[in-house]
Amino acid sequence: MSLVEAQGLTKIFRRPEKDPGLRGSLKHLVQRRFKEFRAVDGIDLSIEAGESVAYVGPNGAGKSTTIKLLTGILVPTSGTVRVAGAEPHTDRMVNARNIGVLFGQRTQLWWDLPVRESLALLRDMYDLSPAFYKQRLERLDDVLGLADLLPVVARKLSLGQRMRADLAAALLHQPKIVYLDEPTIGLDISVKDRVRQFLRELRQDGTTLMLTTHDLGDIEDVCERIVIIDEGRKIFDGPLAQMKDRFARVRRMRLQLAEPTPVEKLAERLPDVEVVAGDAPTEVTVTFDRFTHTAGQIIAGVLDVVEVGELHLDEPAIEDVVRKVYAGELLRIPEPGPARDAAERSGERA
Amino acid sequence: MRRTLRIYRRSLGAHLRAVLEYEADFWILVVAGLLFQVLNLIFLSAVFSHVPALNGWSFPEAVLLAGTYGFVNGLGPLFFEGTWRLAGKINHGELDYPLIRPAPVLVQVVSAGIGMHGVGDLIGGGAMIGYGLANSDIAWSPARIGGALLLLAASATILLSLIVLGNAASFWVGGNHPVFAMTLIRTGDMAKYPLSIYGVAVRATFTVLVPYAFISFFPASWLLGKESAWIGLLTPLVAVYCVYLARLIFRQGLRRYDSAGH
Amino acid sequence: MRPYWGLLRMSTRRILTYRLNSLILWIGGATFLAGSLAVWHALLSQGEIGGYDWDQMKAYLLIGWATGAIGSAYGDWWMAGRILEGHVATDLTKPLDYQWARFSEHMGGLATEFIAITIAATAIVTFTGGLVVPGPAQALLFAASFLLVAPLKFAIAYITTMACFWTQNFMGVSWAKDAIVTLFSGALIPLALLPAWLAGPAAVLPFASITATPAALYLGQATGWEALRLLAVQAAWVLVLWWGARLVFRRALRALTVHGG
Repeated sequence: MSLVEAQGLTKIFRRPEKDPGLRGSLKHLVQRRFKEFRAVDGIDLSIEAGESVAYVGPNGAGKSTTIKLLTGILVPTSGTVRVAGAEPHTDRMVNARNIGVLFGQRTQLWWDLPVRESLALLRDMYDLSPAFYKQRLERLDDVLGLADLLPVVARKLSLGQRMRADLAAALLHQPKIVYLDEPTIGLDISVKDRVRQFLRELRQDGTTLMLTTHDLGDIEDVCERIVIIDEGRKIFDGPLAQMKDRFARVRRMRLQLAEPTPVEKLAERLPDVEVVAGDAPTEVTVTFDRFTHTAGQIIAGVLDVVEVGELHLDEPAIEDVVRKVYAGELLRIPEPGPARDAAERSGERA
Repeated sequence: MRRTLRIYRRSLGAHLRAVLEYEADFWILVVAGLLFQVLNLIFLSAVFSHVPALNGWSFPEAVLLAGTYGFVNGLGPLFFEGTWRLAGKINHGELDYPLIRPAPVLVQVVSAGIGMHGVGDLIGGGAMIGYGLANSDIAWSPARIGGALLLLAASATILLSLIVLGNAASFWVGGNHPVFAMTLIRTGDMAKYPLSIYGVAVRATFTVLVPYAFISFFPASWLLGKESAWIGLLTPLVAVYCVYLARLIFRQGLRRYDSAGH
Repeated sequence: MRPYWGLLRMSTRRILTYRLNSLILWIGGATFLAGSLAVWHALLSQGEIGGYDWDQMKAYLLIGWATGAIGSAYGDWWMAGRILEGHVATDLTKPLDYQWARFSEHMGGLATEFIAITIAATAIVTFTGGLVVPGPAQALLFAASFLLVAPLKFAIAYITTMACFWTQNFMGVSWAKDAIVTLFSGALIPLALLPAWLAGPAAVLPFASITATPAALYLGQATGWEALRLLAVQAAWVLVLWWGARLVFRRALRALTVHGG
């Protein structure tokens, strides 16, 4: 059985419906109306031990709600969840020992207490032995640089410091599975790198990770599997590489030619690909579908016409795909079918 | 249970240490707590300088009553202060973390703070109890001393349960401030005067519906041997009932919790 | 004027948004009033105390409660919270006078407060058999003085919240203020019943203008020139505290810069 098993997971919230303004408030006093809102709508998900899953989608897609359902904070409206065999919202205490959670927007440190006191309180709650606690603290200090933060009261920490301390708090008891909701939000580049490095190490230690983020760098650096949701529904679930294959299939080769060459001449030699002149007369960019052509074919074709000085192949970026999902351009991600069809529908050529 | 108590103690201890870091705040709060007890005393002494008794209660007896109420009220801030932050926690979705930790949520909530104004209440209320006892006519015996301590513990339990119960209403009421709980507890302030001054509706409400009268009036009546003193001996039973009710309501409320920022 | 009017409406709306909160707050206020009435009813059953009989005391307690209710719906807490959570920096970037802006927000509660006071007065008339009513001249004086209570209480609350620039702990400061105001305004017990060592300071402090002054005008304890003198004192306190608050605020801003908050 998988470590995390969710089936038909659904959460419906009820929101008051109110007209704007004072008049609206007064009206709502008398006549209360509510609107149902499906935050999570029939999601199936299973995560194996040791996997690292990126869970992405636009704002309001239901990412945080899913995490809250998986961690037992919310009770699902319908559907089932099992984490390491336990149902999170009923076996709350059992589940709690298996999981570590970080909500990047919110700290779990006690606001008025020094970090050291917060960690000690967690030690007591998770029944950690003094030896284990000491060893964990040392390990976390190595990767997160905790020592300086320990005597500081939580409310006085900077955002980056707070996130480091919060990561330590979430991982103190060495949980089997770690849920991270926006773990790098608002951090500057250097702290971000440090956090990502830490997450990679965590993954190497065999910890299962599930990560929601708006920062696509997090995904590429840390995750091997990606789940995309929109409006509470899952629209893609598979390996990151597969996602790249399937959607980021368009590659771009920039060539520095030995002598100025008309674009038409190259286009003639290379049908089915797009050839565009660059800034200088010796520069051209060739855009091709990596399923219909290989990079080698393109180079061979160009070499038939003209000598090539330098070339640069742009890696397909996960960013482009996910950005399109966010922008609503990819409402349903198609199954792998005829290559061109998919590429056109995804709007890659546009 | 022992583990729960240990978590509670450690959490409270950590907050106590944190509060004591700020000496000025500590004194401001102690003085504020003390001032409210002093106000009670000023009111009673001003009134009793014009009348000999309030419905059969002499000045020392009335001071004992108000002092007991004040003393018990000081225990809330010292031991259950975190409860008052529940409304804000619900409103901001801050129960998420307590829910993912392997410790009872109520314990985490209750111990998440400490209010030093309780010290002022304990000092002020304690002094008033001392004055009241010294100047009242009580036939002391070991049984009476034991009974008094038991009733004091029971009355404290009632008040702390009411604090939990009132704040748990925030699961339904919404909003950032525990207004329901504040109202519930403040209404109880009426219990610092002899219950007999109120109309029958208030007396019934305070005895049966919300048992404020068991916080100070009935225990003090038993100690002073007033009319229907025996009712005071029911205080421990009422306390058990209140604990049960508070836990039940808190649990029901927790099931309604829907975090924040979906 | 328009932005201030907007702030006032906004805070009224906020109070209505948390309507259940507001309602419960008023129920709490009502039980407090009922409690005071019961205590005094029992005390006055043997005859008058310090010149107050039951009818007068009823009116006195209602006024004491009403003057306590004015400016309470919005609460000092909102103001203090904005300073403690650092939003004051955002507030300062707006092209508004900070004090007038907070005053407008405070006054956003007036509508609900007046409704609550009307209900309380009606309840007293219904359940305790009437309420003494002053003559037209005294009623006019009372109305003027009652209106002055709003800015007076605001200024006191505003100055108190300034303490948040120096201490994290508004709660203690606010309670200490409440205790002092309750005692010296006459809300706890009519000032005439206080022992001399407390009545003395009460007479020279601004707090008497909150409860004792409107009550004296309503009950006709002060008439003619004496009434006008009380009103003048009250108005003077409003001005002094309003401008005093500006001085404190200027100093507080210096503290803000020092802390880099």
